[in-house]
Amino acid sequence: MNAPTQTAEARELALAGMGASRLRKEDARFIQGKGNYVDDIKMPGMLHMDIVRSPIAHGRIKKIHKEAALAIPGVHAVLTADDLKPLKLHWMPTLAGDVAAVLADEKVHFQMQEVAIVIADDRYIAADAVEAVEVEYEELPVVIDPYDALRPDAPVLREDLAGKTSGAHGPREHHNHIFTWEAGDKSAADAAFANAPVKVSQHMYYPRVHPCPLETCGCVASFDPVRGDLTTYITSQAPHVVRTVVSMLSGIPESKVRIVSPDIGGGFGNKVGVYPGYVCAIVASIVLGRPVKWVEDRMENISTTAFARDYHMDGELAATPDGKILGLRVNVVADHGAFDACADPTKFPAGLFHICSGSYDIPAAHCSVKGVYTNKAPGGVAYRCSFRVTEAVYLIERMVDVLAQKLGMDKAAIREKNFIRKEQFPYTSAFGFEYDSGDYHTALKKVLDAVDYPALRAEQAAKRADPNSPTLMGIGLVTFTEVVGAGPSKMCDILGVGMFDSCEIRVHPTGSAIARMGTITQGQGHQTTYAQIIATELGIPSEVIQVEEGDTSTAPYGLGTYGSRSTPVAGAAIALAARKIHAKARKIAAHMLEVSENDLDWEVDRFKVKGDDSKFKTMAEVAWQAYHQPPAGLEPGLEAVHYYDPPNFTYPYGIYLCVVDIDRATGETKVRRFYALDDCGTRINPMIIDGQIHGGLTEGFAVAMGQQMPFDAQGNLLGNTLMDYFLPTAVETPHWETDHTVTPSPHHPIGAKGVAESPHVGSIPTFTAAVVDAFAHVGVTHLDMPHTAYRVWKSLKEHQLAL
Amino acid sequence: MEVKLEKQYPLDVDATRAWALLADLKATAACMPGAEITEQLSETSYKGAVKVKVGPATAQFGGTVDVLEKNDGERKVIMRGKGADKSGSSASMDLTAIVAPDPANPAHCVLNGSAAVIVNGKFAQFGGRMMVQVSEMILGQFVENFRQAALALPASAGAATPASAAEPASAAPAAAAPAVAGEINGLAIAWALIKGWFVNLFGKRA
Repeated sequence: MNAPTQTAEARELALAGMGASRLRKEDARFIQGKGNYVDDIKMPGMLHMDIVRSPIAHGRIKKIHKEAALAIPGVHAVLTADDLKPLKLHWMPTLAGDVAAVLADEKVHFQMQEVAIVIADDRYIAADAVEAVEVEYEELPVVIDPYDALRPDAPVLREDLAGKTSGAHGPREHHNHIFTWEAGDKSAADAAFANAPVKVSQHMYYPRVHPCPLETCGCVASFDPVRGDLTTYITSQAPHVVRTVVSMLSGIPESKVRIVSPDIGGGFGNKVGVYPGYVCAIVASIVLGRPVKWVEDRMENISTTAFARDYHMDGELAATPDGKILGLRVNVVADHGAFDACADPTKFPAGLFHICSGSYDIPAAHCSVKGVYTNKAPGGVAYRCSFRVTEAVYLIERMVDVLAQKLGMDKAAIREKNFIRKEQFPYTSAFGFEYDSGDYHTALKKVLDAVDYPALRAEQAAKRADPNSPTLMGIGLVTFTEVVGAGPSKMCDILGVGMFDSCEIRVHPTGSAIARMGTITQGQGHQTTYAQIIATELGIPSEVIQVEEGDTSTAPYGLGTYGSRSTPVAGAAIALAARKIHAKARKIAAHMLEVSENDLDWEVDRFKVKGDDSKFKTMAEVAWQAYHQPPAGLEPGLEAVHYYDPPNFTYPYGIYLCVVDIDRATGETKVRRFYALDDCGTRINPMIIDGQIHGGLTEGFAVAMGQQMPFDAQGNLLGNTLMDYFLPTAVETPHWETDHTVTPSPHHPIGAKGVAESPHVGSIPTFTAAVVDAFAHVGVTHLDMPHTAYRVWKSLKEHQLAL
Repeated sequence: MEVKLEKQYPLDVDATRAWALLADLKATAACMPGAEITEQLSETSYKGAVKVKVGPATAQFGGTVDVLEKNDGERKVIMRGKGADKSGSSASMDLTAIVAPDPANPAHCVLNGSAAVIVNGKFAQFGGRMMVQVSEMILGQFVENFRQAALALPASAGAATPASAAEPASAAPAAAAPAVAGEINGLAIAWALIKGWFVNLFGKRA
């Protein structure tokens, strides 16, 4: 198999293991349109579901008339909350410890809330029948602004919580208040501010946006009334958790529930939660004994399934006159919509927002996040980020710029001054996070050199000096640190299940292998990269390693893919499962070569007898032996399972620099240059990393420059179609320049930190910083997103900069 | 989504005839493109319907209209309309309409209207940013129908009391019908909007 004349380097190259820019295995089927998505699944006798939704944002349901819909030929059932009541399924628990209505129970709390479902022979009949269901409402006053929601006389949104003075995360101080969550040391932070010579503060709003994956959410539920088992194909980033939830809700034993996430067309946090549509399709299938398909349309997706952000933030920094930060205080009012359905680890209702001290050595810090109910759809998911890390990074990076402007300092210099230094790692932040590794100074220098930062500043100064310059130039610099890879089960759980992840590897007799994982790819390329880890660990070519995920009947239990956790958590599980196999293989090889295990060296794909290159056994030969004639006392076979509970999070970081030119006549902002340096530790597949970074930067560009979910006073979402909601195409997307440094995580088996979300988290404040920087000379310290031409033009007018 | 409209329409109709028409809700409603009163529920309360056609899609709003105040002395009527269509939109409108005589010309008058329109659901989501223009366009059509219907009233009706105004008014819609399309047509609206936009752009007000 491996000719002995081949050098170790040549053999290593042939494995296409870690570090190889191996082409994506998934693409062969995707580019041919041969993927298998939920909506591709057709089952015999399958019925279709559609949902009757509320046109108003707040109101009482007076009556629901089903008769006309039921009279339409081909309609099998129309179900409302009253029909689900006997099953106790009209409400369901959320991941955040609240409850959410499956179908509106007496009241609707947001526009397009699910009121009734229709099951029909086909999708068209179902849609017609939805229009035939007449619902009478009594309108109630609508609350859109979370500050208004907290007024003493604000309308009561959640009548079902009447009298409940405490929720899942402590006391409730008002009928529309969900929780107040704090981190850090308040008295230490207050003391730092009391004595500080310099203080700055800034209010900023991080708008409500939507992950908007190409594929919307949906499922095909199929209950077999004879066998009593339930199979559901579903767009889920966490199929095992869905199985647990479905079993708990339905009472069907978990062993009889099979959840399958087939190919998923993007998730970005939108596919973490359990939505009413899923529950209703499952109930309908149980009631009717036939498969039921539900796939939401684009308006339903943007309007109802899991928004992100919507944080109203007040930040304060205390510092010395020469720019050393002494303290940080943050107050957030978080708009959670009508039900608290954020997908965070149980103990963290504001996710990991307390990473908001960023890349800086800040001695004292405190943050407080207040969750509030409003008449908007529930959600609050981590849109391509780790649980509110995007908000945290935005906050601290904006604040550091505000401080730099107040002190007249350069925005790179102030960062250099406050960075956690290389020798301080592992570094424990004022909020208690233990940063694993980093070298921020080196990375920053690399970026500033690459773009010739002093020359850019000089050009900007020249433009500012010229009153006739047609453009304003802005330079945005962001030096962010993420916290990903949730997480250590002592801190992180979802519904009580620790946030470990898992891998099962089986090496076949002829030396190929299959790995089954608790995660699920949605475009990340797991089938490619996971195989590369095994290739390097076991010396099996990645080409013959099959990776399977998403089927709860075959895969080991795992918490799924979101929060950049696949590589930090599942990637470690793979490496450690492979190492278990490796240890057994070594025993077998020693037996085959008739030496002691200690006399063997491992080289790429083989065990060699020390000092004699001619005596070796490849992993393929060992695999055959494991099934053919294992040594006495060893079980046959060559496989292992590993459940990995990470000892800590991982802390990838990046240095991003953006140059924008703003047209003073139109407000249009052109991204002239975007330079992104990422350090995600060990790099498994550089090509996939580049792809991830391009995608994340593009989504960051979308959020910063155009995405928003505006509501009018009546609670109408103005912008739930792709006509209004900005999804950049190749036409709008700027050119990206990428770069990297490598600082492995010391606690991770292969040193990898996770990367897919860094570009999203890091780029958003970079665009804002660049736009604000263009206005810095007239005293502007902050401008809220999105930086659309109209909004930027209004700022130009306001500051007499418009031409 | 809420839109407030304040409009003055000078009409070549005398105030008495204009008021005779306005005071008759059923006849006035018939001037609204696509609208009709289908049932009288009480002295001041009616059931009605409005049909809006946008391309191949038709929305049928069904609802109620209540006359909150009618003042013959001031020639003023205040109405509240509320309705919903089955595909997920609802709308309400508070309207105050006053017929003011033109002091310079007794054969002319001015129709003053102020309305607060609230639209919810799909109509607000899709058409939010065109609400003002569309409302103005629809009102324009309404006023033209209203003018023709009022002109068709016999001049002698000027002396008619509000109670008897219903009589001639019931004949009015038929007379007015040919002038403007009977239902709100989305394509026509789109054309008017585009035309209006160009006119604004080049500063040549029609």
